[in-house]
Amino acid sequence: MPPRRDRLRLALAVIALALISITPVRAHHSFAPYETTVQMKLTGVVSEYRWGNPHVYFEIDAPDASSGQTRHWLIECASTSILNRAGWKFNMLKPGDTVTVIVSPLRNGDPAALLKQLTLADGRQFTNGAAAGRANIQ
Amino acid sequence: MTLRPMAAILVVLAAAAPLLAQTRPPARPSITGSWEGYPVRGDGFGSGVQPKTRVPPPKPVPEAPLRQPYLDQWRAVQAQNLELTRKGLPPPSSGMACMPEGVPGMMGATFPMEILETPGQVTIIEEAFNQVRRIYLNAPAVAPEDAEPRFAGHSTGRWEGTTLVVTTVGVKESVRFRNVPHSMKMRVTERMRMVSDEILENQVTIEDPDYLTGPWTWTWMYKRWPGYKIEEYVCDDNRYFEDPALKYQRLRVN
Repeated sequence: MPPRRDRLRLALAVIALALISITPVRAHHSFAPYETTVQMKLTGVVSEYRWGNPHVYFEIDAPDASSGQTRHWLIECASTSILNRAGWKFNMLKPGDTVTVIVSPLRNGDPAALLKQLTLADGRQFTNGAAAGRANIQ
Repeated sequence: MTLRPMAAILVVLAAAAPLLAQTRPPARPSITGSWEGYPVRGDGFGSGVQPKTRVPPPKPVPEAPLRQPYLDQWRAVQAQNLELTRKGLPPPSSGMACMPEGVPGMMGATFPMEILETPGQVTIIEEAFNQVRRIYLNAPAVAPEDAEPRFAGHSTGRWEGTTLVVTTVGVKESVRFRNVPHSMKMRVTERMRMVSDEILENQVTIEDPDYLTGPWTWTWMYKRWPGYKIEEYVCDDNRYFEDPALKYQRLRVN
């Protein structure tokens, strides 16, 4: 196992409560590549917000909880229609915004994660739709 | 006018009345509008609004009555897929590739759908993947051997009283609802009718002499979603791909 993955796993163990979350698979693909039993909280600055299908993505630069080093994360969201119905807007994020997310990271250690909850700088909170599952940490 | 001719006219009209009544279409509610799968879901998937009159939800789709050896093969693949998914290595799927679900899968209404009744045609639009199917009413049935393979196949329909009966043939063999294989002899019959003011029922029957021992039947239901406007769903940014070595669903991160 590469050292980078070891560090990520250690960080996750420290910052996340490993709780089982039940994730119904009713999306265009499986969310199984994500470590859905692990949830972690990141606060970072948005560098990109791509509103498209099958899924919406945004990218953030966020300091690692253990090392303090900034990492670049790809955050996966649901489809545009699910997010619209969950109250999102296509233009509610822009580069430079500070956001806090609760996410489940990829199992393979790549810096990407499935969104569970998004909090904007003004305090508004959003889910990522039923298929992605709810945040179980705060 | 004397009384006798008038009486004769009345007698003729009385005799013709049942015939006139038969030629008039029966009163039935329009099914035009937006619909969501029932039972309703919330949190982005549906309105979360329960119907005013509760209707018992349909039973889950049963296992397909596949012939052997297809049944054993299907069960083995399902078990393997479940195990791989549990390990975080979900096998590639047509959904991952943003392929349409086709018939009957799109009628599962994972996302909302719209039904449009126009003269001679019923059109169904499923939001996911912008899927469209056109049902031609009172049109000659398409012979399976003449049906160009399509995702949604070729659908013809007729109203039997208040039930819309739809027959579909010509669904591509690569379109696999619940991973179940089928031949070009597959025939999908749907019987749609309102079971309350808000709930539309769809009784689905699949027949395929090559793969099934008998009809595979289940019921789906939809609830009206007044005012919902179907959204666009084009996969212009699909970051999922099949891992070339391990053959599982992967996300393009960079």
